[in-house]
Amino acid sequence: MFVCLCNGITSQVVAEVIADGASTTNEISKACGAGAECGRCRRTLRLLLGGSGGDRSGVRG
Amino acid sequence: MSPTDPHSHSLVIASDYRVPDPARVWPLLQRRRSALAEIGAHHVLVYTSTHDYGRVLVTIGVRSREPIVELLRSRVFFDWFDAVGVEDIPAVFAGEIVERFGSVPPSARKVPGVIVSAIASVDDVDTLSAEIRSASSRFDAAGIRETRLFRAFDDGHEVMIMQELDDENRARDWIEHPDTAAPWIAGAGKGAYPPVFVGKFFDMMRIED
Repeated sequence: MFVCLCNGITSQVVAEVIADGASTTNEISKACGAGAECGRCRRTLRLLLGGSGGDRSGVRG
Repeated sequence: MSPTDPHSHSLVIASDYRVPDPARVWPLLQRRRSALAEIGAHHVLVYTSTHDYGRVLVTIGVRSREPIVELLRSRVFFDWFDAVGVEDIPAVFAGEIVERFGSVPPSARKVPGVIVSAIASVDDVDTLSAEIRSASSRFDAAGIRETRLFRAFDDGHEVMIMQELDDENRARDWIEHPDTAAPWIAGAGKGAYPPVFVGKFFDMMRIED
C-alpha cells in the first residue's frame, strides 16, 4: 500500500527501513522520506512501527 | 458490488477511512467530478460500513498514463481528504483486477448484498487464484455471490479481495469461519492493512471522458 502520498513511499519500503533499525517516525522519514512532507501519514507509520507490516507469516496464498 | 464491472482493465485506487459525517461523502465526491475526470477517473464507488459508523471504502477506477506515484501526489486526493475531514491520510491500495469469480450473474441479483473487503499479503497470487477457483462450490455454499481479486502494483504479494455475500449474517459467518482458500481474512488488519471491511454499496459515479 502507498503510505506516504507526498513521496510515493509504500508500506513495503517502510517495513524495510523498520527492519533496518528505524524505531521512530522521524527515523523512518530520514531513512526513506515517508512522512517528511505534510506528515499526515505518520499515524500509519506508527501502526507499522507497532505492528507486523510486511510480515507474511501465517498468510498463505 | 455494482451491477457492472467498473474496474476492469484499469488502475484501481482504494482507500478505507473514517469520516466524521458519512452523509457528506457522496455530495462532496459529486462536486469533484471534473477534478476526478482530469486524473482519468472513470468510476467512483462508495461503500459504507454497516456496523462501524463513519467508516467508508472508496474505490476509484482510473485510466491514466501518469505513473501511479504522480497520480497519488495530485492535489485531488489531498483536497478530497481535506473536504471530508480526514486529517490522518490512510494508506492507499493501488492495483488492477486479476480475476472475477462468481456464479450468480449480476442481473440475477435482486437484493443488494453485503460487501466484505480485505487487503492482505499472500505468498503467491496465481496460487491464490487457483485455490479460489477450486473452492467455488464452497464459496457458493457460504453465500458468496462474487469475489474480485486485485493485485497491487507496488507489491506482487499484496491483494485486495472484494466479495459480495447474500446478507449480513452470511458475511459475519464468513469472517468468523473463513474457508481455507480465503487466507486474506486472517491477513487483514496487519501493519498498514485495514481490518476487514463489512458494508453496503452506497452509490457509483460514472465519469465520461
